[in-house]
Amino acid sequence: MTHHAARHRLVVGAVRALFVGLVLSFGGLLHAESVLRIGSPGDPLTLDPHRYTLNVEEHILKDLFLGLTTMDESGAIVPGSAESWDVSEDGLEWTFHLRENSWSDGRPVVAEDFVYSLRRLLDPETAAPLAYFLYVIENAQDVNAGSAPPEDLGVSALDDSTLLIKLEKPFPYLPERLFYPIANPVPRHVIDEAGSEWIKPKNWVSNGAYSLHDWKPQQAVVMKRNPGFYDAENVSIEQVEYVPVADALASFHRYLADELDIVGDFPAGELDSLRDSHADHVRLAPLLSTMYLVFNVEQPPFDDVRVRRALALSIDRDKLTGQILRSDEIANASMVPPMVAGFSSLVPTDLLSTEEARSLLKQAGYDDDNPLKVTLRHMSGAENKQIHVAIAAMWQEIGVQTVLHHTELKVHFTDLGNAEFQVAQAGWFGENNPEHYVELLWSKIGNINYGRYSSEEFDALLEQAKDTASLEDRVELLQQAEQQALSDHPVVPLYSVTIRSLVNPRVGGWSTNPRNSHGVRYMTLD
Amino acid sequence: MSRFVLKRTAFMLVTFWIVVSATFFLLRLAPGGPFDSERRLTPEVEANLLATYHLDEPLYLQYFRYVGGLIRLDFGPSLKHHDFSVNELVAAGLPVSLMLGGLALLIAFVVGTTVGCVAALHHNTWLDSALSAKLTLGLALPPVVTGPLLVLVFAVGLGWFPAGGLDSRWSLVLPSMALSLPFIAAIAKLTRSACIDVLAQPFVVTARSKGIDSVRLVSRHVLPLTLVPVLSYLGPAAATLLAGSLVIEEVFSLPGLGRYFVQGALNRDYTLVMGAVVVYSALILLLNFFVDLLYSRLDPRIQTDENVRATVS
Repeated sequence: MTHHAARHRLVVGAVRALFVGLVLSFGGLLHAESVLRIGSPGDPLTLDPHRYTLNVEEHILKDLFLGLTTMDESGAIVPGSAESWDVSEDGLEWTFHLRENSWSDGRPVVAEDFVYSLRRLLDPETAAPLAYFLYVIENAQDVNAGSAPPEDLGVSALDDSTLLIKLEKPFPYLPERLFYPIANPVPRHVIDEAGSEWIKPKNWVSNGAYSLHDWKPQQAVVMKRNPGFYDAENVSIEQVEYVPVADALASFHRYLADELDIVGDFPAGELDSLRDSHADHVRLAPLLSTMYLVFNVEQPPFDDVRVRRALALSIDRDKLTGQILRSDEIANASMVPPMVAGFSSLVPTDLLSTEEARSLLKQAGYDDDNPLKVTLRHMSGAENKQIHVAIAAMWQEIGVQTVLHHTELKVHFTDLGNAEFQVAQAGWFGENNPEHYVELLWSKIGNINYGRYSSEEFDALLEQAKDTASLEDRVELLQQAEQQALSDHPVVPLYSVTIRSLVNPRVGGWSTNPRNSHGVRYMTLD
Repeated sequence: MSRFVLKRTAFMLVTFWIVVSATFFLLRLAPGGPFDSERRLTPEVEANLLATYHLDEPLYLQYFRYVGGLIRLDFGPSLKHHDFSVNELVAAGLPVSLMLGGLALLIAFVVGTTVGCVAALHHNTWLDSALSAKLTLGLALPPVVTGPLLVLVFAVGLGWFPAGGLDSRWSLVLPSMALSLPFIAAIAKLTRSACIDVLAQPFVVTARSKGIDSVRLVSRHVLPLTLVPVLSYLGPAAATLLAGSLVIEEVFSLPGLGRYFVQGALNRDYTLVMGAVVVYSALILLLNFFVDLLYSRLDPRIQTDENVRATVS
């Protein structure tokens, strides 16, 4: 009998243990309320600000580090580690006044940290892929090429809280360039000790609103609020997890299953039904970007401006954005996105004319008996395919026979860089700075000028702009330069892309902005 | 026997070397390099990067450098994941992939043999036809279709299991189910036909006439014999399973080796892809090797000489 009772107790105990185990494991599944989970389109490849290249990394790094400048929740550039700055009359000397802030291990951040970090960025040993972003700094290019020692870089600490940056040429957009993670300070005192291991969570020290807690590759980058951050009292979310989800459909499902609070992409086909079922979750934001077609102007038939103009005239941008993409993309005839502040493009917008296009083609020697045949290259993907099929159909209306050829991103851009194409899709993302887009047509910029366009008039205007310190005069020159170049139609600007996000309504402080930059320090969780 | 093992081992090593070398050179033939993207690199920057990873050396030197590292079991630094070595990434990803593959194989084996036996015992009845129809469907639907379907029903709709990631012990349920489906079907079909053959043998008729119940009959007498073709299928199945897990890991955002393989290939992360290929091919070769051994043990009628290779491969 007692034996039986003991066995009974054992069974009950086992059942209870099993039950508790189940509850605990389910408890782990339902994440704590103060944890924000963000789906990002892929794993960061590095968290070293000097070696980063990807957008995904940029998003994570902006929470971990605080550069001289930073972005507010609307995407505007605001003071970061620097409280304020002065610029010399000639635009060449920038003096930054640092605020009191400390590293996550309590050590104060001083001007010397920035000197060390900028030298590290440009040191060839670091092999920083985006080092050229700061070639505007005095001697930066020589240092990066190894022909000058890092000490020659035009950056110096006047005292603990004053940093002087000297430029090669006036560059009014410096505060914007300094926002990029490449200009973040890195902790010298940790790097000197831990070497390349400084990046591991156990050694991690940074100066941003959050510090790295854990990083399991392909699983999550986990960061915790940094209590030493200068504005820590206004940072409310305790823990943030960036979860890599490479596939748009998978991230959409995980959002629907409430495993993620924010996802940065979802399949375009779901938009209509989401607008009904999840209206308060869907956020569409135009991104500072230009998608365009580029002609290889060195080879026939596109060495003939009449042919380029004919193809440009026959594209109906509004049809592409309004009927095919349908996510509030902005049609744009200028290389400079319409959200770039202070720039009003002089490029005419309503050129669409199939009649003129036909007669131009005729002048160039093409008609129904001898039709123009072109190969249009684009990147793989359903949306890219739809867009380019539509463009081919528009060209068919003026008698052009188009072959579509698509390849994955790497192959596409490698071939474009080598000018191995006739006409191709291209895109440029990034800055609130017209020069960033206009200079893509500069004959001296290298193979990023995919079509090898070259115009002395345009180059002269652009180079004059680059030497001008006054922002107003500079923008005016850039507007003239763009107008000059686009009258030759080396490219056909099409539209600015839209970022489609899903944001759970319990997340506050997430506002759409043209840079798609969303610092977690500004967010709240209900 | 030992001559057989020696021969197979030598054969395995040569195959392995060919796979590694072919992959090494084929990767370099693919257009685009690890540092190409829509953002340009200046010549200075590119030179710095190439020098850091010895990519500026002649190809044969790079090859010897790689093989030298491989002998010391050092896969080198990842060209893209700057903060991790390939060894670290493989160490993180491989257990997940093995667990996923192992679970899927287990499910496929248990469910497949059971379904196959049930269908065989009810040969030529409505149950047999219904099961066969289901099996054909299972074979026809690839995991890339069944994966998202399972997620829609069991994660988004019912909320029973996570839709992706590896945050709880339930995370592997849906992926291993999706991965196992085609193999359940294949194994069930194999078991069914083998089982039907065995059931027609005289010794089964004798056992039945002595009044044995069908559970005992199947478990004691029929199953061991039907397992021979199933086992020989498991080797190649494990290889196909690994290929299927590349898709499944992507669909369920699992941190496995397959995901590194796919992304490494897209990124032209030469060392990472090489690492994945080395591990996968070693696994597949070893699996086939063990199945060969096991096969010859299970069925003593098979001699361990030339006809083994012919039967198995």
